[in-house]
Amino acid sequence: MIAGVRRIWRSMPLRLAIMLVGLFALVSLISLAASYAVTQSSFEQTIRADLRQDLAGFRAAPNARAVALLIEAESREADPQRLILSYVAPGGRIYGNGAISRDDEGFHIVSFDRNRAEYAGEYLSLTDALHGGVITIARSRAEIVALRAVFVNILLISLLPTVLIALSGGLILARRSTRHVEVVGAALDRMTSGDLAARITPGPRWSDDLVQIGGKLNQMAGAQEAQMRALRGVSSDIAHDLKTPLQRLALTLEDLRGRLPAEGEQAELADKMQGEVAGMTRVFQSLLQLAQLEAGSPKARFAEVDMAQVCRDVRELFEADAALLGQTLVQDLPEGPLMVQGDRALLMQMVSNLVENALRHTPQGSEINVQLADAEERVVLCVADNGPGVPAAERDKVLERLYRLDRSRNTPGHGLGLSLVAAVAGLHEAELTLEDNAPGLRVMVRFMR
Amino acid sequence: MKLLVVEDDATTGAYIARGLREEGHRVDLIQTGKDGLIAAASGSYDVLILDRMLPEVDGLTMLKTLRGAGNATPVLLLTALGDVEDRIEGLHAGADDYLAKPFAFGELSARVSALARRPQALEVETVLSAADLQMNLLTRSVTRGGVALDLLPREFALLEHLLRRKGRVQTRTMLLESVWEIGFDPGTNVVETHISRLRAKVDKPFDRELIETVRGAGYRIAG
Repeated sequence: MIAGVRRIWRSMPLRLAIMLVGLFALVSLISLAASYAVTQSSFEQTIRADLRQDLAGFRAAPNARAVALLIEAESREADPQRLILSYVAPGGRIYGNGAISRDDEGFHIVSFDRNRAEYAGEYLSLTDALHGGVITIARSRAEIVALRAVFVNILLISLLPTVLIALSGGLILARRSTRHVEVVGAALDRMTSGDLAARITPGPRWSDDLVQIGGKLNQMAGAQEAQMRALRGVSSDIAHDLKTPLQRLALTLEDLRGRLPAEGEQAELADKMQGEVAGMTRVFQSLLQLAQLEAGSPKARFAEVDMAQVCRDVRELFEADAALLGQTLVQDLPEGPLMVQGDRALLMQMVSNLVENALRHTPQGSEINVQLADAEERVVLCVADNGPGVPAAERDKVLERLYRLDRSRNTPGHGLGLSLVAAVAGLHEAELTLEDNAPGLRVMVRFMR
Repeated sequence: MKLLVVEDDATTGAYIARGLREEGHRVDLIQTGKDGLIAAASGSYDVLILDRMLPEVDGLTMLKTLRGAGNATPVLLLTALGDVEDRIEGLHAGADDYLAKPFAFGELSARVSALARRPQALEVETVLSAADLQMNLLTRSVTRGGVALDLLPREFALLEHLLRRKGRVQTRTMLLESVWEIGFDPGTNVVETHISRLRAKVDKPFDRELIETVRGAGYRIAG
């Protein structure tokens, strides 16, 4: 869930939407602020002009007494919330609907009513000396203050829907593109895991660029598949072409061997040739089997297989040979069955190859130990020997087909045994590692349960 | 027995046919699947030996067509090297046995005989015997000349397999497939070792040998 949210958050359309919304908001904010400033200053100018006109009206009065009378008359009708008139006469008496005072906090306008309430709000005032007294006229800035609320409203009303629409649109696009990218990703995953027939099927609402990318990827996969098929075709053609001569050779040799006396030099030569043909056949079989395993075809036949029984069966196959070679086969298996999902025949072959490999590459007196353990959700197979081991640098290479250590060039075998082990492990999604057994080699195969 | 061999390679086909004739069978050799299908459908053969890969109609299609038409003649399918899938596909299509190329003639001959004499209906047998040897499948005990023999499970299974196929050669591969249930050659002498252990118990203390070695082919208990 969190991962999904994070993926959507990181997707391009949503980021783009957020960026655009931000930019749009910023531009709207700046232009609104500018028009607010302009409107405010023009309002203020109007008020100041009104103030000057008011003052000019009072100046027309001939003396202080007349000014006081005018002020009294006008202030009776004036709303102190909008207009304050105040005249401090030469005698010190204050006329009007409010008195202006000043202290540390600034200017205050105090009412002449009985409660001497102070008028809140902002005013613009003009003070001047007149006929020996001081006249002050103040007009409320309430209209300008109200302007702010108007502008904030404009901002909210114009911006909010835009932001909401852009964000939800971005989210929808982001989820859709995430879904489309997931489709592409899933197809790519299948391709990398060996399914070259996997293709991307674009939906009707896919964006053009994604459809194009999908098309190109499909083209690439198609080319790869064709190449792979050609390659497999070549190898199976070669195998098929060689099968017939190999078959003729085997039959002719058998025929020849039948005509020769049971013993003697000629018979020995024929036996040797038959042995060589059998060896060739084995290499071919292994190569073809490897190709099949790497294509992942036998997976459909997976079933529950008891690995403990597989190990016991393999031991039986090899114990006589081990005894003959002066080597010891030891087993450390659990009492009960230990099940893995797999192909019994292939698992059997895998364990056989590991044991055969150990027998072949260790000297007389060596001990080969086959262990099977149940460790943390995994079934761990370990085939260890105390022979010469494999140098760390070459451990990966011995898994490659036909690779052989220099010192084992002269031992029998064709360098395909461990490749086959690796292929079988891969097919079973088991982890194969070669480790130092100090001394010797330890091959670990970890199966998922 | 009357056998039909459908094999596109003339040399291989000729060898197979000659070998089988030398063993006393009557053999018809045909090179294409189409002709093979006609022959198989019209003639009454005991065993059909079909190559998997044939020109025109391949062996598998041929087999499916025959089985579809209700022809139940035992079929031995010859397939390409080590093709695991082929084997499954072949057995699925109705083949009775399968042999990967290249094979030794002995192997082919042993498998053909095994197919031909396959019991039509499996009767439930409780006692198997050969000469003075008796195997009781219920008590899982073996006696020879009244003397009880002590066999390990695998030795018992091996002896049972040979007794059930009295008179027929069983090759090493056939034994590995049926007694050890493995489809690959481990390259060890596990079969030889078990045969010799079995002989030590079954034959050595007595004057007549029951388990015979057939040179270049395998083992059998005389019928």
